[in-house]
Amino acid sequence: MSSELAISRSIEQSDLAAPNTGAQLLRRTWRAVVPILWGLVLPAVVLPVWFSGAYWGWLPEQILPTPAEVWGTLLEMLRSGELKMHTGISLLRVICGFAAGTVVGVALGAAMGLSSRIDDYVRPFFTAIAQVPALAWIPLAMLLLGIGEALKIVVIAKAAFVPVVMNTSAGIRNVPKEFVEVGDTFQFSAWQKLRLVVLPGSIPSIFTGLRYGLTHAWIALVSVELVASSEGLGYLLVWGRQMFWLDTVLVSMIVIGLVGFVTDKVLAVVEQHLQRWRIDDA
Amino acid sequence: MTGHLDVQRVSKSFRVDGAVVEALSDISLSVQPGEFVSIVGPSGCGKSTLLRLLAGLERGFDGDILQDGKPIVGTSLDRGIVFQEPRLFPWATVRQNIGIGLQNAPINTRQKEETIAAHIALVGLQGFERAYPHQLSGGMAQRAAIARGLVNRPQILLLDEPFGALDALTRGKMQIELQQIWSHEKITMVLVTHDVDEAVFLGDRVIVLAPRPGRISRIFEVAAKRPRSRTDDDLIHIRNEVLLALEGQDRAPQPVGRPDRPLIAKPAA
Repeated sequence: MSSELAISRSIEQSDLAAPNTGAQLLRRTWRAVVPILWGLVLPAVVLPVWFSGAYWGWLPEQILPTPAEVWGTLLEMLRSGELKMHTGISLLRVICGFAAGTVVGVALGAAMGLSSRIDDYVRPFFTAIAQVPALAWIPLAMLLLGIGEALKIVVIAKAAFVPVVMNTSAGIRNVPKEFVEVGDTFQFSAWQKLRLVVLPGSIPSIFTGLRYGLTHAWIALVSVELVASSEGLGYLLVWGRQMFWLDTVLVSMIVIGLVGFVTDKVLAVVEQHLQRWRIDDA
Repeated sequence: MTGHLDVQRVSKSFRVDGAVVEALSDISLSVQPGEFVSIVGPSGCGKSTLLRLLAGLERGFDGDILQDGKPIVGTSLDRGIVFQEPRLFPWATVRQNIGIGLQNAPINTRQKEETIAAHIALVGLQGFERAYPHQLSGGMAQRAAIARGLVNRPQILLLDEPFGALDALTRGKMQIELQQIWSHEKITMVLVTHDVDEAVFLGDRVIVLAPRPGRISRIFEVAAKRPRSRTDDDLIHIRNEVLLALEGQDRAPQPVGRPDRPLIAKPAA
């Protein structure tokens, strides 16, 4: 090995493996905390506005309850187990619907991404279906499935299914041909190409689809519970509005937002784990 | 000794917007086992197409391409290739990327691990086994790609402008390393490049291609002894000859095979 090479290697190595000092650890922690602080700016603006609005009576108390009142209702609903029941039912519906929509969606999206023949067959019909929002499917679905759990799960599954199919097929199609050619030069079988090249290459896009799908699933859940349910967070919303209990309405809105936020974060963590190669360990 | 390549009267055409464009015309070339052949020519002379034909990545051509007497059909583990871009999988580490080359090798896991480690050492990437491609410099990424091309012991390594995207300093260093690997491994190498210095520095022979359609215009023997020095008089002399041959292509009237179509005039310099 030439000395020229050895020198270059030691330079490059020091670039990659910087010493892990205490100051660096502090910097890294700080860097992780800063985006969270930025994310708290907007809530920190909205909350005082709500406080002042309620305090000075900008809106009638029936329409805008005070934060303290909403907080009290939240605690009470927690204590009575009411909130837990409604949240549990909604969560279960989202999980079942999202799982069904994702499994079918990834399979169809993969088939469309891998075979342009299948894509030609399915794409026009799929696009037409995708344009009709979940809410608009409810009347027809209700007649076919009744108003039981099947209806909710099918509507939620459809909502999750659409973005999953679109992003999976696009992700698979966009795996660079150059990478597939590398597989060709090593005599990869079709299965090896799928497992070692196409799937890993399309995971970022598939996950984008999953996260959109989850958001859409929550939206569809509230829609379907608004129309046809006697429990769940969407039902709680409608019921609160009908009784003019705006504190209940706000509590359900906050819980929907929080649960949606947490489930999205869970997906983000899974995604990060699957894509460690994307994380810059600088 | 294996690793003999025989190209017999090979022509290759592409269909571009309905018109047939001849990329290679009547190429005949024989590469001896263990030889280092450089193919040099201006862009558009079909040199990359020729290399892809040798790799088995292009189908549909006239003539015969034989490796050790057997026609080349599709790709083969006997022929490794290094592309201009490293083409490392961004989701895999250096070690995994090199291991890609051993997926279909008939050896057990422990032998694979040993072979991968040996090739990481061969290209000087020890300590970077677990690095991802985005953490590597251009030169390191290309070294990993060379290791991947070599890892399952092909008899022939095809190199398609492997250092074209590197800066001049790194390129010079990589040429020296490639020369060391070649003399160490004693396998046949075919290098396609547009860099005349590189072609002459590395090649036992330099094949000069002329464009439109791609055809062999000159073949130079480079007899200088190895390891070579860039300042070697013989090398400089041959380099000048090759440059003259390439310039001559520009000045000589182009034998374009389609007189029924008007030639596009070149703008005056």
